[in-house]
Amino acid sequence: MTLPFFPIFFVDLVGSACMVFFAIACVRLSYALHIRDRENVLYLYLLMVCHALAVFAISRGIGHIAKQLLLLGGYRHIWESLRPYSGSLNTISFCVVGAVTLFFERIWKVHQQILRDRQALKEAHEKLLLMNKHLEDLVSERTAELGRSEQKFRRIFEASRDMIAVVAADGTLLDINPAGCEMLGIDGNNVMVEAAAKKLDFGKFFEQPRDWERLRENLQRSFYVTDEEVALVRQDGREISALISASSQCDLQEKREVFHLVVKDITQRKIMQQQLLQADKLASLGQLAAGVAHEINNPLGIILGYTQLLIREEPEGTERYEDLKTIEKHTRTCKTIVEDLLSFARSAHSRKEPASIHDLVQEVLSVVRHNLELKRIQVETYFDPRVPVLVLDKDKMRQVLMNLIMNAQQAIGKEGRIEIRTAFVENGPSVHIVVSDTGMGIDPKHLPRIFDPFFTTKSTGEGTGLGLSVSYGIVKDHGGEIQVASEPGKGSVFTVVLPAPAETQEFMGHEN
Amino acid sequence: MLCFEVFRGFVRDLYSFPSFKGFSETMVSIAICLLAVVLFPRELWATQIHADPEGLYSHQMGHGFFILSMGVLAYWLRGRRLIRYKGWRYLQYSALLFTLWNLDAILVHHLENQDDIFMKFSEGTLHAYLRPYPGREWLAWIFFLGKMDHLLCVPAIVFLYLALREMRRSPHRFSPQDDTGL
Repeated sequence: MTLPFFPIFFVDLVGSACMVFFAIACVRLSYALHIRDRENVLYLYLLMVCHALAVFAISRGIGHIAKQLLLLGGYRHIWESLRPYSGSLNTISFCVVGAVTLFFERIWKVHQQILRDRQALKEAHEKLLLMNKHLEDLVSERTAELGRSEQKFRRIFEASRDMIAVVAADGTLLDINPAGCEMLGIDGNNVMVEAAAKKLDFGKFFEQPRDWERLRENLQRSFYVTDEEVALVRQDGREISALISASSQCDLQEKREVFHLVVKDITQRKIMQQQLLQADKLASLGQLAAGVAHEINNPLGIILGYTQLLIREEPEGTERYEDLKTIEKHTRTCKTIVEDLLSFARSAHSRKEPASIHDLVQEVLSVVRHNLELKRIQVETYFDPRVPVLVLDKDKMRQVLMNLIMNAQQAIGKEGRIEIRTAFVENGPSVHIVVSDTGMGIDPKHLPRIFDPFFTTKSTGEGTGLGLSVSYGIVKDHGGEIQVASEPGKGSVFTVVLPAPAETQEFMGHEN
Repeated sequence: MLCFEVFRGFVRDLYSFPSFKGFSETMVSIAICLLAVVLFPRELWATQIHADPEGLYSHQMGHGFFILSMGVLAYWLRGRRLIRYKGWRYLQYSALLFTLWNLDAILVHHLENQDDIFMKFSEGTLHAYLRPYPGREWLAWIFFLGKMDHLLCVPAIVFLYLALREMRRSPHRFSPQDDTGL
């Protein structure tokens, strides 16, 4: 039995050629895979395996082809010399293939680790993005909330009618709202610049420095004070009454103690209270005076009547006649005082009719003008043409005007000026009759008592002290009021405020 | 040690000449040693002689190593369940066929080096043939068939080609969850 070598020869040649061809094709494919995804270590691994396999396949294939061709060509000796190299190269190359192939497990683990890291990184990135987005939302939401809060509190701060101020413990004004600026009479536009430059001291606005010291001590001790009544002095020197509520807080950022103050201006309220007290007092006095006057008026009338009867029967010139005349005179004086008291108590009968207040002023002035000229007192009148006709008791109103002008004259003494001004105030509506003088003014301590019956600063015999009381009673009887402002040494201003009927305003409006 | 010190001293002396400037001391030492080996050869007993059979044995071991690596690759591909994907399945087939080819190559190399199986005639011609010794026909047949080893290795590399082509056509991106372990 013989076995031909030709099939082996044929398979060897064709197979070697196929091996070379497919090895190169595998290298190309693996390279294409690697190019597609350079970061994929599995493709890199396949590229390495294919390269090693290609070296093996080419060396082996070419070796086998060369062997067959050299043997067929009769070049055995050449093949014999090449054979060890071809065989060795074959051995080395498939050992390399084997060695590279064994790296699969490690490469696979590296690949998986990369995938895990990549996934973890991606998840972390997504989480970070989400957190970042959420953070942005959170920040924008908080910012908006802060903005709303800031706006709300800024509005309260700006629109408050009471002073809101932030003051350092040493008294330096740190912030103040517009109402505060207005209350203290400081320039609201530049207050903070001014405060920063001059270190505006809030304590200086206290009339009594010890009030500020006490407030500060209380704040430092108790951390808050409530409704502390103090007197403040505006920058223009005017005094105001204020109610302070404050709390103390430690500013951690600035590392200092600051006071937050809310100050309420109660000047008007206090004036109102005083006026109410005055009104109450005068009402009580009026009741008392009315009672006394009523009781005295009748006996006085009887005394006066009988005195006059006795005078009629008594011949003139006798001592008895003179005595009776003295009795009559003093009885009349008493009667006048009683009538004045009744006017003050608004118990006297009044007869009201439409009258022009300007005419009344002129009538009174025509009576007193001569006397005023003698004392070189100038009288100036400013009449508001809008002042309507008022319904009033002309006699009594003349008495009021007379009292005010005479008081002014007495306050001036000699050489001065009396100004009588009328004004129609639509807000009300009301008519203001202002009598101002350049006299000596009224001592502040006397101001609360000037409308009291029988109160007078004049020496005995010069006045009964009923003038202003009677005027007050008459004006009150007309539904009005008397205001007084006086500054010692500069003069006084008496303002009679009489209500104007609403229909008058309408009438005037139509007339205009 | 003494010889080494004397040699170092000699090198330093040489190094002092201007013409040796620019060369490191180590480079000069190596050059001297190479010159000594070339110029003064002597019989050396330090290295072992590798005679004829060693080449065959190392080649056979190489095949064995190739079998091992391909077997391990196939095992891992199955263990990682990568054979679910067509491309990686082809790679497994390729590894198995390479394994078979290596087994075949080992067998053929072994038989080829046996003197008592067949005799070769007209070697180096297209009419070459072999005649088995009596009683050794089946071994001669095994050798004859095994010698056509390309019938195994060519399909193996074709499967590798198909595997790569499949991976290129429908690439699969693995996820970390694909690592199921062995």
